[in-house]
Amino acid sequence: MIVPMKFVTLVLMRDDREAVLRALQKTGSMMLCEQEGAVRAGTENTAALRRMEKLLSDLKPYAPKAGMFAQKPQVDTAALETPRTDDTETAEQMEKLLARIEKIKERLKQVSDRQTALFPWARLSASSADLEDGAYTSYTLGTVPAKQFAAFSAYCTENGAALETVSETEQTVYVVLAVLKEASLQDLAEYGFQKYTLPPFDGTVETGLRNIADEQNRLQTELDEATAQLQKYTAESLAPQVLCEHYRAESDIEDTPFLSTEQTVLFSGWVPEKRVAEVEQAVQSVTDVYDLIARDPEENEDVPTELENKKLVSQFEGITNMFSVPTYGGYDPNAVMAPWYWIIFGLMMGDAGYGLMMVILIAIVKKIMKPKGDTKKLINVLLYSSITTILCGVLFGSYFGETWHPILFSPLENPVQMLIVTLGVGVAHIFTGLFVQIVNHIKAGHWLDAICDQVSWILVISGICLIFVKPARTVGMVLAIVGAVIILLTAGRAKKGIFGKITGGLVGLYGITNYLSDILSYSRILALSLATGVVGMVMNMLAGMIQSSVIGFILSLVIYVVGHVFNLVLGLLSAYVHDCRLQYIEFYGKFYEGSGKLFKPLSINPKYIQIQENGGN
Amino acid sequence: MSGISIAIIGAALCAALAGCGSAIGVMAAGKAAAGVASEKPELFGKLLVLQALPGTQGIYGFLTAILIMVRIGVLGGAAVELSISQGWQFFGAAMPMAIAGLVSGICQGKAAVGAIHMTGKQPDASGKGITMTALVETYAILALLASILVLFGIQL
Repeated sequence: MIVPMKFVTLVLMRDDREAVLRALQKTGSMMLCEQEGAVRAGTENTAALRRMEKLLSDLKPYAPKAGMFAQKPQVDTAALETPRTDDTETAEQMEKLLARIEKIKERLKQVSDRQTALFPWARLSASSADLEDGAYTSYTLGTVPAKQFAAFSAYCTENGAALETVSETEQTVYVVLAVLKEASLQDLAEYGFQKYTLPPFDGTVETGLRNIADEQNRLQTELDEATAQLQKYTAESLAPQVLCEHYRAESDIEDTPFLSTEQTVLFSGWVPEKRVAEVEQAVQSVTDVYDLIARDPEENEDVPTELENKKLVSQFEGITNMFSVPTYGGYDPNAVMAPWYWIIFGLMMGDAGYGLMMVILIAIVKKIMKPKGDTKKLINVLLYSSITTILCGVLFGSYFGETWHPILFSPLENPVQMLIVTLGVGVAHIFTGLFVQIVNHIKAGHWLDAICDQVSWILVISGICLIFVKPARTVGMVLAIVGAVIILLTAGRAKKGIFGKITGGLVGLYGITNYLSDILSYSRILALSLATGVVGMVMNMLAGMIQSSVIGFILSLVIYVVGHVFNLVLGLLSAYVHDCRLQYIEFYGKFYEGSGKLFKPLSINPKYIQIQENGGN
Repeated sequence: MSGISIAIIGAALCAALAGCGSAIGVMAAGKAAAGVASEKPELFGKLLVLQALPGTQGIYGFLTAILIMVRIGVLGGAAVELSISQGWQFFGAAMPMAIAGLVSGICQGKAAVGAIHMTGKQPDASGKGITMTALVETYAILALLASILVLFGIQL
């Protein structure tokens, strides 16, 4: 069911704006909308939110690893509303620590660069002062490729330069060249000589290197200390998470559009009819000076959709919303879709053993993770579907892939019979869609459309089905022909001219191929249920093959557990995806479009923490 | 060549070709998913589902191969004497799944890559991406069905 909405306009004193919005945010009943000429309060909180998000993402490497099933930490609303000063301080401390760690890392890199540059010269006995130019000689440090070293050294001695090899590697020789100032050594570069500039160091290179090592140690301890402190902070404090959510809530308020005069502000939005009183109460809790006008939506207005269904059905809403949200004033298909989704899911899994495993696993997941929102709904859909899975497993006698006393028949031994069952399910499913469309047409007063577009097809399809049943063959043929004639005569009724009407009728009748492929599409139910069953059977067979010894027996247990869990997960994924597809394309294609948008009220939506249910007020 | 060898070649081709199709499909989707996850690691769960979708063809091929081997008694039970003609019948039964598995696995992988890119840009649209990708799988499922029906229709 789609909840009726009211368009609410609120006029307030300027000073009350924030307090009222905060109260509205807590009730989560109003979706504010954009207006012409509207302004926003600012962007401070949004900027603060970004800063906290950045801090959180920077902190990730230092935070304790959260387990796969870890719950989000719980915080009460009061803590979210007004951040404690020590939380702000802790967050600042964390930021400072992060900056310090960054700085130390940069220093470490510089130092290690210097170390690499100095290292080949470790054996150079001269200090940096010794290498300064003398009165008659100048000193140059440089490298020569090992291959050219012999030629280079000959060239140097010829031209009166002294050469000292400091160290060498396979490719390079590191040399000190002492050259008389008046001597000219023009061709050094030809021998691959490259000047080498040493980074600054005190005393000899050796002491320089020792100093560097000392500095590295010092920096490393500093880094370790800072890291440990940061890890301690992240493990003990929720400050960045709480602040982040505080700013998220504040930035949502800050971002609401409003019109203003010098003294007053006006903002408006959608509220579900039942919750208008709630909104008024929230406003009253802040101020007496206000004006609230609620009116019905006008035609052609873009009204958001809020769905309200019985608890069982409401769990399936997410599946429809994933396809398309119902339009306001349109039809909510969840109540008809839910039972079909439920049944088809069971048929696709079709194994009592796996159904039991689903119940147990989902119970564990619900207990440990306490999912919320859409995830919770999806998990509930799976939980409900485990019932049909067990039922189908018992009916078709499938237990962990083994066949045992089927009540109806075993799909593995009788695939054709199972195929007929699945196609029957398909016909029933498609008829349900057509019936819904008939009801919609009749409600809208379009009797003719209902008969021409839906009843005719029901006649054709049920007629063709009856042809396969011997005693009802003639009845079937009559029905099919009547249906086909209706289609042939009326499918082109919207077209102009006699020619258009005739081709329209023929094209309409050609639609039979669509219906055929729609119905055949349900054969995937058989394929998927066989797939689950046979893979399970293979796992049992593999395990059975190695059970002759004790070790083999233990190994076979591993195969049972791993194999069946693997098969279950795969089966669930396939069943979920293909059940959705049958609903979206085969079923919704018959009657449902929906292109609405969801009602998303101003509310508190934390990402990193959970609001304590009974906390706050 | 005896009938049973032909049937075994059919079963082997079925598992091998469909497996190759899935491997290529999952590889393509995996590369795209890794790229998206490098920017948005929080989408890992959604991406994994999309990456897993082209993997079903390999399972279907494997399943058909096992069914053939059970039918001809190679797995569990005494081997059945097959005539050359019966051998070819089993070979034929394997072909829909083998060929459609290979091609649809690769194609579904490409569709999955598109859906993964879409999820990277609009995480809320992952459901639509899953549906689009799953449409390709229809033909693998029909092939599986054809293979199974032929397989059970063969008179021994």
